[in-house]
Amino acid sequence: MPNRVAIVGIGQTRHQNTRLDVTLPEMINEAVRAALADAELSLKDIEAVFTSSMETFEGIYLPDHGGAAEIGTYMKPGFKVGTGGTSGASVVVEGFSMVSGGLYDLALVIGFEKQDCGETTAAITAAATPIWGKGAVTGAIGEFAKQALSYLETSGAKEEHAAMVRLKADRGACLNEYSHLKLGLKSIDEVLQSGYLVWPLRMLDFCPQSSGACALIFAEEKKAKKISKKPVWIADVEVVHQEPFRAGTFGDPTGKETYTQHVACERLYKRNGITKPMKDIDMAELYEPSNWEEMSLYEHFHFCEKNEGWKLVEQGVTEIEGAFPVNPSGGVIATNPIGATPTIRVAEAALQIRGDAGGHQVPKDIKTALATALGGPNWTVLTLLKRSL
Amino acid sequence: MAKKNPKEKNTKEKEPEYISVQFDAPRKYRWSTGKYMGRTYQEAKENKKLVANRCVKCKEVLWPPVEVCGRCKVEAGEDWVELSQTGTVMQYTYLVYPLWDPHYGEKFANPYPNAMILLDGGVYIRHFLEETDQKKLKVGMRVQAVWREDHERGEGTADVKYFRTIDS
Repeated sequence: MPNRVAIVGIGQTRHQNTRLDVTLPEMINEAVRAALADAELSLKDIEAVFTSSMETFEGIYLPDHGGAAEIGTYMKPGFKVGTGGTSGASVVVEGFSMVSGGLYDLALVIGFEKQDCGETTAAITAAATPIWGKGAVTGAIGEFAKQALSYLETSGAKEEHAAMVRLKADRGACLNEYSHLKLGLKSIDEVLQSGYLVWPLRMLDFCPQSSGACALIFAEEKKAKKISKKPVWIADVEVVHQEPFRAGTFGDPTGKETYTQHVACERLYKRNGITKPMKDIDMAELYEPSNWEEMSLYEHFHFCEKNEGWKLVEQGVTEIEGAFPVNPSGGVIATNPIGATPTIRVAEAALQIRGDAGGHQVPKDIKTALATALGGPNWTVLTLLKRSL
Repeated sequence: MAKKNPKEKNTKEKEPEYISVQFDAPRKYRWSTGKYMGRTYQEAKENKKLVANRCVKCKEVLWPPVEVCGRCKVEAGEDWVELSQTGTVMQYTYLVYPLWDPHYGEKFANPYPNAMILLDGGVYIRHFLEETDQKKLKVGMRVQAVWREDHERGEGTADVKYFRTIDS
């Protein structure tokens, strides 16, 4: 039997675009300290450290290699995980697997990204190889722009619905002390008047470039119960990778391609007896780089039928005080230190279960929460969290 | 009159000056096109053709051409087919804000819209559209490949300059 694993420590930096006051390891150190303080542990207690970020986003390979002391890896086992946009969730799966498998009883898991170093869109565009896709330079934004166009043309959603998603995110972000963009947006018109970035995506339809880190401490059952009064259990994880869509990276106009979100959530739901996701799960933290993608994800994860994601928005179901809150933290569209972003999804979902989310704590009692990650050629990583197993 | 809080005076702190280092990183790389994509490069350069291999098992056209069919998990084989050079635009977008292009080393907004085109016969290609008038762009528009001059070719699918609108 694998060991049960709980999150016993959660820490993150205040995310912002520019952190010229610290080096990358110093920035990571802030999250590590916060997680250790939350768990009332010291670095001596940690047996292994796993980290993740987007390769080359800071302009060099292994941007963290000078920071063993600050990060906590000094003389400890562990490694860095890189799976593109899902990295920060892959590292959660990695830490979970190691503790669950009994290799370590207490592990530190870190996602980080310091985007103020330079040209991260150039780094992400470099994922198109020189021999295939050269010159197709639209970064991740161009892919989400095409996804938005497909959704706009086929689902029945209007631009107003995307604007409503953006307003929901901003309301959450303004209540979240760690979030990056706190815009205080008041009206749909305000969103619809923002300029185009990559048509039909507007500046306010897409996530910012943030710098920040998020650290989690995982413990096996006995230690978890000793360390924490409110351990949050990792009930299950799922990882699905895919070839690049022949039909599109984040949207499929043919209806013939297999979405990794479908495969991943169907496997996860089946193993955990989830038949009605919006009833059996209490809330979700989704990886939504754009407001249009959030509506698509509602459908991909079977919260609703196809082409009905925008109806959930219209009905306010996914608002903080709604029946099924999604991204009360403000989500990725407000805060995106990419390597840390999926780790933050898990952290935020865990905080909701503990009741410790602060200003953006949802009013409803959260016993089960889903954290998702997306990246690369439509890869998906899921983490299911529970208050008790 | 309300007394000023003495603390208030000190809230306007001087902006700290942080020291940072700037660097450029010009680098040269060489990528081999490999056993399968090399064929696609050759056919584009010499014959202005788009070719791909089909999986021996499921008969799906593999695009880009590859050694292993991911679905069947078998060696895909040498069953080469020529793709159509006409197709239908299924998704498109265009840059409004200039982005850094690592392959060209400069920041620019490519004037040509970026599209996902369904080639007749069922294979998708991600490419550019000649039409830059945004009002004329439509999902469903018919397009045809326009090839670069002989001396310009040698860059795989980039040997097609863009896709030109044709009457449907």
